[in-house]
Amino acid sequence: MTLVRISDDALALACGADDVAAAFVAAGCTVERVSSWGMHWLEPLVEIDGIGYGPVGVADVGPILNDDAQLLCIGRIEDYPFIAKQQRFTFARAGKTRPLSLEDYAANGGWQGLAKARELGSVATIAQVTESGLRGRGGAGFPAGIKWTTVANAAADQKYVVCNADEGDSATFADRMVMEGDPFMLIEGMAIAALAVGASRGYVYIRSEYPHAIAKMEAAVRASAHLVAPFVLEVRVGAGAYVCGEETSLLNSIEGKRGEVRAKPPLPALEGLFGKPTVVNNVLTLAAVPWIMANGAAAYASVGFGRSKGTMPIQIAGNVKYGGLFEVGFGVTLGELVMTVGGGTASGRPVRAVQVGGPLGAYHPPADFHLPFDYEAFAAADGLIGHAGLTVFDDTADMSSQARFAMNFCAVESCGKCTPCRIGSTRGVELIDRIRARAGRAADKVETLPQMHNALKAERSLGDEITLLEDLCETMKFGSLCALGGFTPYPVLSALRHWPEDFGAPADREAAE
Amino acid sequence: MSGQTVEKLAYMANQIARNMTFDATPAASIAEHITAFWTPVMIDMLLAQSNAGLDPLAAEAMAKVAAARAHAG
Amino acid sequence: MGYERQADFGTPEVRSDQEVTCFIDGREVSVPAGTTVMRAAALTGGSIPKLCATDNLRQFGSCRLCLVEIDGMRGTPASCTTPVAEGMKVHTQTPRLQKLRKGVMELYISDHPLDCLTCSANNDCELQDQAAAVGLRDVRFGYEGENHLGAPTDTSNPYFDFDPSKCIVCSRCVRACDEVQGTFALTIEGRGFGSKVSAGLASDDYFSSECVSCGACVQACPTATLQEKAVKEIGKPERAVVTTCAYCGVGCTFRAEMRGEQLVRMVPWKDGKANRGHSCVKGRFAWGYAQHQERILSPMIRESIDQPWREVNWEEALTYTANEINRIRDQYGRNALGGITSSRCTNEETFLVQKLIRAGFGTNNVDTCARVCHSPTGYGLKTTFGTSAGTQDFDSVEDSDVVLVIGANPTDGHPVFASRMKRRLRQGAKLIVIDPRRTDLVRSPHIAADYHLPLRPGTNVAVLTALAHVIVTEGLADEAFIRERCDWDEYQHWAEFVSAERNSPEFLAPVTGVEADAIRGAARLYASGGNGAIYYGLGVTEHSQGSSTVMAIANLAMATGNIGRRGVGVNPLRGQNNVQGACDMGSFPHELSGYRHVSDAATRALFEAEWGVAIDPEPGLRIPNMLDAATDGTFKAIYIQGEDILQSDPDTKHVAAGLAAMECVIVHDLFLNETANYAHVFLPGSTFLEKNGTFTNAERRIQPVRKVMEPINGYEDWQVTQELARAIGLDWNYTHPSEIMDEIARLTPTFTGVNYKRLDAEGSLQWPVNDKAPDGSPIMHVDGFVRGRGKFVVTDYVPTDERTGPRFPLLLTTGRILSQYNVGAQTRRTANSVWHEEDLLEIHPTDAENRGVKSGDWVRLASRSGETTLRAHVTDRVAPGVVYTTFHHPATQANVVTTDYSDWATNCPEYKVTAVQITPSNGPSDWQEDYEAQATLSRRIEGTAMEPAE
Repeated sequence: MTLVRISDDALALACGADDVAAAFVAAGCTVERVSSWGMHWLEPLVEIDGIGYGPVGVADVGPILNDDAQLLCIGRIEDYPFIAKQQRFTFARAGKTRPLSLEDYAANGGWQGLAKARELGSVATIAQVTESGLRGRGGAGFPAGIKWTTVANAAADQKYVVCNADEGDSATFADRMVMEGDPFMLIEGMAIAALAVGASRGYVYIRSEYPHAIAKMEAAVRASAHLVAPFVLEVRVGAGAYVCGEETSLLNSIEGKRGEVRAKPPLPALEGLFGKPTVVNNVLTLAAVPWIMANGAAAYASVGFGRSKGTMPIQIAGNVKYGGLFEVGFGVTLGELVMTVGGGTASGRPVRAVQVGGPLGAYHPPADFHLPFDYEAFAAADGLIGHAGLTVFDDTADMSSQARFAMNFCAVESCGKCTPCRIGSTRGVELIDRIRARAGRAADKVETLPQMHNALKAERSLGDEITLLEDLCETMKFGSLCALGGFTPYPVLSALRHWPEDFGAPADREAAE
Repeated sequence: MSGQTVEKLAYMANQIARNMTFDATPAASIAEHITAFWTPVMIDMLLAQSNAGLDPLAAEAMAKVAAARAHAG
Repeated sequence: MGYERQADFGTPEVRSDQEVTCFIDGREVSVPAGTTVMRAAALTGGSIPKLCATDNLRQFGSCRLCLVEIDGMRGTPASCTTPVAEGMKVHTQTPRLQKLRKGVMELYISDHPLDCLTCSANNDCELQDQAAAVGLRDVRFGYEGENHLGAPTDTSNPYFDFDPSKCIVCSRCVRACDEVQGTFALTIEGRGFGSKVSAGLASDDYFSSECVSCGACVQACPTATLQEKAVKEIGKPERAVVTTCAYCGVGCTFRAEMRGEQLVRMVPWKDGKANRGHSCVKGRFAWGYAQHQERILSPMIRESIDQPWREVNWEEALTYTANEINRIRDQYGRNALGGITSSRCTNEETFLVQKLIRAGFGTNNVDTCARVCHSPTGYGLKTTFGTSAGTQDFDSVEDSDVVLVIGANPTDGHPVFASRMKRRLRQGAKLIVIDPRRTDLVRSPHIAADYHLPLRPGTNVAVLTALAHVIVTEGLADEAFIRERCDWDEYQHWAEFVSAERNSPEFLAPVTGVEADAIRGAARLYASGGNGAIYYGLGVTEHSQGSSTVMAIANLAMATGNIGRRGVGVNPLRGQNNVQGACDMGSFPHELSGYRHVSDAATRALFEAEWGVAIDPEPGLRIPNMLDAATDGTFKAIYIQGEDILQSDPDTKHVAAGLAAMECVIVHDLFLNETANYAHVFLPGSTFLEKNGTFTNAERRIQPVRKVMEPINGYEDWQVTQELARAIGLDWNYTHPSEIMDEIARLTPTFTGVNYKRLDAEGSLQWPVNDKAPDGSPIMHVDGFVRGRGKFVVTDYVPTDERTGPRFPLLLTTGRILSQYNVGAQTRRTANSVWHEEDLLEIHPTDAENRGVKSGDWVRLASRSGETTLRAHVTDRVAPGVVYTTFHHPATQANVVTTDYSDWATNCPEYKVTAVQITPSNGPSDWQEDYEAQATLSRRIEGTAMEPAE
């Protein structure tokens, strides 16, 4: 009987994987539903004896079983260039194991990290994580070992480990793939963190838009409870607010409060969930830990670039030919990712911009393709790598429209706590709309009233309006309480700087800068 | 709802006695309490009635009050 | 004092042993570790712009005006959320910061009304101040963007308006409601630009919401969004006087803010040590009675109570009164006279009234309303500890780990202290509530009692003894403390008594109705949960075993070592503003000021030398004894200052009969109260706003009362008493209450160090203040008990004689609610009545159903004393078999029903237990009709059409 492997990842499901699987069963095959390899353009990807076929439709089932599907065949998946070029630490099991099979997990290196941590104890475990150079994968890149040390050293009757799985950035899906494809790895990572810092309870906070991830995590938590005890883990589901991906809003949300940002200090590491010391880490951060513990800090730290150690599961999406998950050591260039790995735009037109790091990341022109994928290098170029999502745009993109999108995203998702974000984003949308209309602003009804003696009566020019937009971005960037308002200026200002012509400026403005 | 009757004063004395039963020296303490808080008119009124309906402990205490007044007077 | 906003340091004070030194704009400042940069800057005299920060709320960090630059730190951190570090160098004014702040302000003003000059907060608005400070001159966004300017104003609250068009969404109101008041009535609804302050559900306005109108949100608001209606009507105050609230025994300090002689608003004063800047709906808003049209401003007399009143001038009234007093003394003897001092009046006034009676009338027949509330506290705590007062200050609760509340409903009765207690409970202190009703404290936002012991009314002593049984028999007593501080033999005698099987929780469960396990758990928690503090109220004292209960509480505290330091203690929540002071001032018939018995020759000699008269060495009559004697015909005249015994005292018919039997009843009050229906002389009184003096609150804190306006009746109350004294021939010549306090200090060892100069300088003093405690005594019994060794008193459970039976199968207990105060003489004359128009009878659904009673039905409430009618409210807040009502309204006259049973030691009435029956009714009782007819007749005033509604 033929053994067929097909992913049950949400993306594969969306592409019709269930129907394909049913067709193989009907044809007398044994079907194993496994995690996804992360090659989106090939889903549903079918694996038989290590050989891959994709994308497969129901009509292709017969030809594949009759060995008559050469056009769909990609050969041995492990040797396929998109996979072969990667350094898969976190996604080492991707495509190979059944997500909820404790047997598969244990047979493929699972629980080795936790066993090691239990053997080493708290202090040595934290030392391993610190030496590995692992930095927070949520975007800020804060060294995980330092955060854990702070929590470990805090005296408290109760501590928590919280996993931020509120993956809301555009072009990101790595967290989802971990939870849907390898949930025990995340649980193992959290159990190691709990052991390291002395926490007895943990929460995985998952966005409500991830029903499959929620279902799998809940099942995995139940299945593995006896393996991580006395650590107790619970899945909490968000309610649709992007800002709850910000760690302090997330903590408020778990506490049942309004999802509103808290001022820091106090740091969550000292006063976090319910006021107790709390490790808050992203899914990818925690998921990297079992590998580090099992293979040693040095093995992890030997990969990477500069201060960015280890691998990063980069997510390539947007208008791109080969979108998917590409885990590789830091240091790969942006151009390599977009052009070589991604194969350029899906439309075949020239790339105009790549937004890196989600809706709050900067838009980079092809002139930035030399940038190595590294926290510091992107910061130096007025950008950020964030959660490592890449959105590719071709030359039909209107960058003032993209700037408006960013500002409007902020207005829609703002929690409303701080003034620059709450009022600024709405004023920003209004302002960009006026700029996009290419008009200055005449004095309004109020300003023209004789009672408004101090108000400017003359028209404000387009240049004045752009200056106001720049000033507003400065107020938001340095004045906002959290990264939502604080980073919205990245896409807006990068669009304005690199593509001034889209904002009505004479074409030579860019050259003048 | 009555005036300052002997019955009412006797009720008060008995109530004090019931609440001080477990005192180390109950009769003396009850006598001390009544002397401290009652007006002479109230005390005289109760003492004037020979069969006012006092419980044994209250009666013992009132006897001490009477003795002390006789001594002081 | 002129009108200036009280200094605001932005973030709360931090307690720390460590000092940190930093540099703010080059100025060196040392502050406790953990202090914010904002507060440190304010302490140097600088001011960093701010809107969302205020120093009675935790830092929030939302307005982003307070950004600063700090050497070695990235970006522009918010000074309100950044703690100082050693050597930190902070720059609060740089071109970069100025630009950022202006940018933030430009956003605010792009969504704010521009008509400042006609705004009620004009020149008293933090947004206006900060806009000026950052130098905003142009709003480049224009004024036609999306905005909230059309939002309608919520005018539903009687005292303040909510105008969301002016809201800057700083959340100060929401946070004040959460952190300061603890009600959690407000929230921010919506997100982003749509965020707005909301009083609960979208369908709610302020009035229909959970809001308790404490005013904390109004005080916190930096704009005119939440604004007192009075300010909108009158305008900004121009001067202010700091004084003490005249409502409950918490003793909140307020600033009376005035425009001319008109009171504009009362604002809680942050430096007030009792309230720490908080307030409740009564003190904050319900002061309108002071100018109420029913105030009596002219003295009145009449020969008999069936005559109408005759208005006379002061001289005629005083002469008439003096003649009557002299006549009655000559005719019936000095002991036919007496008086009642007022717990509403100042210490000085109270002292003068008892002096008038002892030195002028020549009798010790003086009593005070504490007789009917906390006289058992005085007796019980003096007997066990040696001092007739609570042991702690209110701040002490901040260090409590276990709070035991028995017979008190602080969220209604002592709301400001309740808020402070609830804050500590939210921080994690454990809570035990012993109360027949499920009071708000049992379960309120973020607070749940660890144990609620819903005992049968009248079984306090049994429950407390059962708790003691567990503590002693399970080895939880603090023997080291007892051996060191208490009489060991007495302890052993007591321990043996409580250890008896008949005092076990299991044995007593059928009596108390409380499950044994709950009692055991509560006892273990109180004894071993850290600092244990007991707070109690009238649910303890107003029983036939009130004094025993107080002593049983004291026993528990001593047995567990919970006395003599912060966080512990025995704390009576005193009812009236100056009930502690009235007791301190020698208002009881057996005691001179400072709780010294009249039989003590040395004490009498001190007073006799000062006053130049002999003092009777025998105790005088208590209020119930006075009324008994009046009915008997031996008590003929009484001077009652600021007390409405007809409504407040038990067994109304008995009180009425006693008063009716007297020949001269002198009522000195603001209004024609119920007692005045039986009066022959009415002397108009003055409010706390119109006089100087002092009040002493439940924590023994003596606080100044300052004259805010001239008395509209012409005289302060102490002046009236002095004139009456002079009219009967006493040579009194006080020119200011400070002279009376000086006399009190000369005569009272616990007040030796008290004088007005110190009170003005220090704000308040907690007695004892003397050579042993020159700075006063926040905590009592620190180095040992005042009486020497703590005394354990055996408190046997003696059931009340008031029993339920076939005729009266239910138990009535009485209490009060937040918006009304005591007999309601003040609060009923304010808009507070919108929250409580009438007294309601709370009855359990089972009892209601058995009687065919629904919520809103009229019911007849009958006891062996009398009957009245009122409307029913069906609720499971009361247990089956128990009914509950308040006594705020004279139309109800709940005390017609209460009996003459009283505490064995003090005769404090047993208000809390009356056997009653409830039946459906369709009209007032005979007594209510007769009383109403008598009251209408009695209130006639000659030559006027005045027939007050009450």
